[in-house]
Amino acid sequence: MLERRFIFERRGQIALLVLAAGALAFQRLGLDPRDLVPHAGGAQIAREFFGAALRPALTFEGALETSSGTFLGRVALALYRTVIFAAAAMGLAIVFGLGLGFVASSSWWSRERFGGRTVARRLSLRAIAMSVQAATRLFIALLRSVHELIWAVLFLAAFGLNTMSCVLALAIPYAGTLAKVYSEMLDEASDAAPGALRDLGASELLVFLCGRLPRAMPDMAAYTFYRFECAVRSSAVLGFFGYPTLGYYLKLSFENLDYREVWTYLYALFLLVVVFELWSSRLRNRFVA
Amino acid sequence: MSASHIDRRAEVVRLRAERPRSLTVRFSLVFFCALAVFAWVSGEIDAVDFLSKRRRANVERFLEQDVLPYPLRESVRTEGGGGTLELLWSWVAELWTDRGADAFWTTLWISTLAIVLAGVSAVILSAPAARTLMRTEPFARTPARGAGEWPWRICAEAVRFSLVGLRAIPEFVWAFLFLALFGPGAWPAILALAIHNAGILGRLNADTVENLDGGPLRALRSLGASRRQVFGLAILPLALSRFLLYFFYRFETCVREATVLGMLGIVSLGYWIQDARARQRYDEMVLFVVLGALLVLVADVLSQLARAALRRAR
Repeated sequence: MLERRFIFERRGQIALLVLAAGALAFQRLGLDPRDLVPHAGGAQIAREFFGAALRPALTFEGALETSSGTFLGRVALALYRTVIFAAAAMGLAIVFGLGLGFVASSSWWSRERFGGRTVARRLSLRAIAMSVQAATRLFIALLRSVHELIWAVLFLAAFGLNTMSCVLALAIPYAGTLAKVYSEMLDEASDAAPGALRDLGASELLVFLCGRLPRAMPDMAAYTFYRFECAVRSSAVLGFFGYPTLGYYLKLSFENLDYREVWTYLYALFLLVVVFELWSSRLRNRFVA
Repeated sequence: MSASHIDRRAEVVRLRAERPRSLTVRFSLVFFCALAVFAWVSGEIDAVDFLSKRRRANVERFLEQDVLPYPLRESVRTEGGGGTLELLWSWVAELWTDRGADAFWTTLWISTLAIVLAGVSAVILSAPAARTLMRTEPFARTPARGAGEWPWRICAEAVRFSLVGLRAIPEFVWAFLFLALFGPGAWPAILALAIHNAGILGRLNADTVENLDGGPLRALRSLGASRRQVFGLAILPLALSRFLLYFFYRFETCVREATVLGMLGIVSLGYWIQDARARQRYDEMVLFVVLGALLVLVADVLSQLARAALRRAR
């Protein structure tokens, strides 16, 4: 009985549809599970690579290493730069995300604020408000729809290798995502406090900034922190394109077959992300309590 | 000033002094503001060089020549207009049938299969990662204490810890490693996306299970149901909407990432972006970037429709 009910429910159908889509994808890609057994060369690499997992390097492995300084110093520098680029990008993304998020939210364009007394005035003001909001939302969607690595490739082609272009590549899609989520959170915030302020005769800008914004602030801060963690990961990956973050050194070590060094970088990235996660979950608990 | 006015003022001051404050929140805010400011003045970011004459000349050339579609550039050079729109259209159509369509669908299928694999493993992993289920007496109102609890607890924490490990390493790095192990093909991308997303969805699903109302689960348990039966008959139906919401939320991100993984040599859209860049055909590159953006917008709409349908179904 239970199974039959499940199938006739909407979410049951959606779940089955999802599984069918997976099967279809498998068939369309012409995949063969046997390819998952690594080829001879791959198996050799796999053995060496995973064999090094428990022995991460603490000093340079490569015989050709001529650079000054220690290996752990280099790991620290890679981590430092990864965090610095992420922080710089998030700084930009938060500023632009807030501005765009305000303009994209429905509560910014509230009826009380852009109402007007006569019908003609009201209609024209509403039309202007709606079109500005729609244009902002479209702009945000465009910012978000291009991945940070593709922005990086575009900037590499346009500007050449420059650390500022790395920061911009990160900041643009992140500003878009933050703006979208901020605007949703502002609209979903409870109407009680803004309504009370409005009844007291506060100006509409004050209603938004002192009534609505503080209500949405905890959620916005928690989400921002989560995005910071994502930015750290993305910043590490940008190294694969030649920027001096963690990915750059990881790629170098892997291509030199220094697998123990690769594991050190992986563990370092893992530690960094764990620290951020613990921190942000602690913050979330504070906000909720 | 009237007495009541002063009273009210004192009340406001008192309320302000008593508002909830947390050292953690304050410290974090100050720390991250300071970090963002420090990042800009640390000297690691070349904002000055970015605006230098050489860079500007580069950008001008890029915008005025490189990204102009090939037929447009030709017609500007020869006569200036005349049937350009037709030429432009045939240029786009040729690139689409030649490579674009194939890469477009491959990207979509890779991300679909990857997210389904991730979703299924996340549902399975959510059971051993749920601390409320992993107890000698699951969902008990007052958790039992004692030596018998430790194996369960260690097991749950171990699963959660490995989930952190899966998601801490970015998809791109997973794909880079798998490419060396499995050779070119779609599998490295699928596995990379599936593993990273299994880490994220597994954690979200496990949190959902932990936050479920314990009543029905306790009742089923007291009737003598095994842990597996409780999971299949009560937890899954209760949490399925949430699981699916998270699933579609990650699907959108998965499509974005699948595009990019092509840059490593898997034939998705990113492959042709990288290929056009290597051949310095920037007009083609921009066309594929736009195609990728379109794909992401389509996935965005799909996932929003699915989530809206789920909200209505609840």
